Amino acid sequence: MKKYSPTERAGFRKSAFQYCAANSPIHRLGGGWKIIVALVLSAAAVAAREWWTLMILLALNLACYFSARLGLANFWRDIRIFLVQLSVILLLYMLKYGPAEGFWPGLRTGSQILLLFLPSIVLLRTTQGSQMMEGLKWVMPRRLSFLLFTSLRFVPFFIREIREITMAQQLRGAPVGIRRAWNPMHWKDLFQCLMIPIMVRALKTARAAARSAEARGFEEQPRS
Amino acid sequence: MRKFPLQDALCLAFCACFIVITRGAFRLHLNIPGHAMFFTMFFMILGRGCVPRLGAATLMGLVAGLLTTLLGMGKGGPLIILKFLLPSLVVDLTGLFFPKLAKSYLLCAVTGALGSASRFLSIIAVEWMVGVDWDIMLQHALISSASGVIFGTVGSIMVPPIVRRLSAHGLIG
Repeated sequence: MKKYSPTERAGFRKSAFQYCAANSPIHRLGGGWKIIVALVLSAAAVAAREWWTLMILLALNLACYFSARLGLANFWRDIRIFLVQLSVILLLYMLKYGPAEGFWPGLRTGSQILLLFLPSIVLLRTTQGSQMMEGLKWVMPRRLSFLLFTSLRFVPFFIREIREITMAQQLRGAPVGIRRAWNPMHWKDLFQCLMIPIMVRALKTARAAARSAEARGFEEQPRS
Repeated sequence: MRKFPLQDALCLAFCACFIVITRGAFRLHLNIPGHAMFFTMFFMILGRGCVPRLGAATLMGLVAGLLTTLLGMGKGGPLIILKFLLPSLVVDLTGLFFPKLAKSYLLCAVTGALGSASRFLSIIAVEWMVGVDWDIMLQHALISSASGVIFGTVGSIMVPPIVRRLSAHGLIG
């Protein structure tokens, strides 16, 4: 049986598309700039139709990826899902037009989809959540950014709460827990024993957090 | 979003939190395509049941999409927001016509199926942009979203007993 580290058991294993710390020019670039560059490169992938434009875009994306010192192992983790997608599209094209006629259009379309997403992957890999929020806060309404920051702050709290409620219910003999969740026979117990306490906790926390924010004059202050 | 009291808005943001947490937790244990729709549709309809106002699910979808992007949990980067927004719009639209949506098994199942099927639209949107042929686009979208529809429907029919119990205890209106 595969062993998981504590981070993996919490559900957030180091996997594709996650921030990877390194000292590179791409990492040092501001979050807002990286969002703009990613959008431009993705838009170029949509517009590109000729092979040479796709090759230039691929070279640019690879240059960004590897200059960010993300490494081949991370690159493989990031693109493997697109390779599956590419093979499905290739197969569908070859079934429709025949192997000879369908191969190149299928490959071109699959590559375009990969190039559409690759800039976003570099963005996610090289930008911390806080850095991205810095970039986003200038375009987001104040209330929405408050909700986003608060929910982000409460993610570890709710993971802890879910774990505690699960443990308490397991001690009472309820067949709950993430490993049993795959079995439909346990779904009723899972939802009755876990979701109701979790929702009660969420409702109470929302009330307390709202009162706390209102007491600090959240709704009155203009954006600074 | 202005008309939401802060408490309701926070409750919806916490439901979005749960979508992200379950998405992250189950990614490790299940490798079946589309299984993320199970809890996505469950929490979206549940959140709409807890805060029965127009725009509740959309706000939840927006926060869940932004959270997923910030935590680096989706392959689409900023485009993943669309994956959450489309199902949430379906939930809000259904809620507009059927205000008792979260208490009915049938309505929940239909909304869950439609909301999960909206992944079909996000796949079509991406492939239409890069110029894929229509029939290939439809076949690919169908293959990719079929299992999500099944999971989304099953997840949605878990909502009514929870909403009924929460309202029986006076925790929601």
